[in-house]
Amino acid sequence: MNALTWNIILALIWVGITGEFSSANLVIGFVLGYVILAFAMRDVKHFTHYASKVPKVIRFVGFFVRELVMSNLRVAYDVLTPTHYMRPAVIAVKLEARTDGEITILANLISLTPGTLSLDVSSDRSVLYLHVMYLDDEEAVHASIKALEARVLEILR
Amino acid sequence: MPAFVIWISYVMLSATLVLAFIRLVRGPSLPDRVVALELMASLTVGFIGVYALTSDQTAFLDVAMVLALTAFLAAVGFARYLERGGHRDD
Amino acid sequence: MINSLLASVFVLSGCFFMLLAGLGALRMPDLLMRMHATTKAGALGIGLIMVGVAIHFLDSGVTTRVMAIVLFIILTAPVAAHAIGRAGYFVGVPLWEHMVKDELKGRYDEQTHTLASPPKDETQGGR
Repeated sequence: MNALTWNIILALIWVGITGEFSSANLVIGFVLGYVILAFAMRDVKHFTHYASKVPKVIRFVGFFVRELVMSNLRVAYDVLTPTHYMRPAVIAVKLEARTDGEITILANLISLTPGTLSLDVSSDRSVLYLHVMYLDDEEAVHASIKALEARVLEILR
Repeated sequence: MPAFVIWISYVMLSATLVLAFIRLVRGPSLPDRVVALELMASLTVGFIGVYALTSDQTAFLDVAMVLALTAFLAAVGFARYLERGGHRDD
Repeated sequence: MINSLLASVFVLSGCFFMLLAGLGALRMPDLLMRMHATTKAGALGIGLIMVGVAIHFLDSGVTTRVMAIVLFIILTAPVAAHAIGRAGYFVGVPLWEHMVKDELKGRYDEQTHTLASPPKDETQGGR
């Protein structure tokens, strides 16, 4: 996250120097700053993994949008047809995420993916309780949550 | 943008408003009603978006932005009220 | 021309998802499942409508505002859903009778407001 702050500072400096405050110019400054930080500053400790972060974020956004649309369509089918195919359940998922920030982001993303809704975190922060709409295969649900968590942590850490 | 697209959008959004209103009246519990109210708040953001299209006034988007930011505060407030001594079965 | 067509498609599909959210709020059998419908379909619907607005105006100021609106909705919708869902569950809103499983039941202490984690052998998919 520290590298991101530096990148934003560089983008703001670019906007200040060029003297044109528009979002397009800010994006240009951000991209330039990213190129500098990712390739010219590779030897500095903070920025070694920064080059691979942005492609990861882009891939994650793509993955997330696809997931969002696909599972929305599944819920849509269930809402529109007269019979209910839901098999709802409340399950507990073990958390790898440790800090408040990680747990918050993960819980929000889980809530946004249709079919799962995060309810609460246990007081010792080891388990996240979820409401699942389709518990056809519990192993598969656990696996998909774990996959999402791995992707999120890969970006945050 | 063709006029019939705007018309269909308004019809769909209004139908959603009616559905949310039915849920608001029927309940049966307080959290159900809060969910319906929240849906209405995000519907208002959608209405403002479509109205900005019809009127070609971009200033309406500022209103939508503020609404999007504050709409969830009511829900959080209700949640705290529920957990701190609302009725157990209303 | 192509802009107008694209914007129409986005706005219409956004409105369709909003309608779906409304239908879900009305038709789903219990509180938690109604929230599944309203938060996700609602957030996706607003997002699509706003993308349509951005395509229609094609202006950097509008695009910035649209991005801010979508970001705010994506940030706040799950928080509100979590708050209401949690409150509803612990206040004791009746759940659908066809629930398959409930691992949260009985783990919450109303006096101390602590929530226990399940015993080790019950959870699956650990590390």
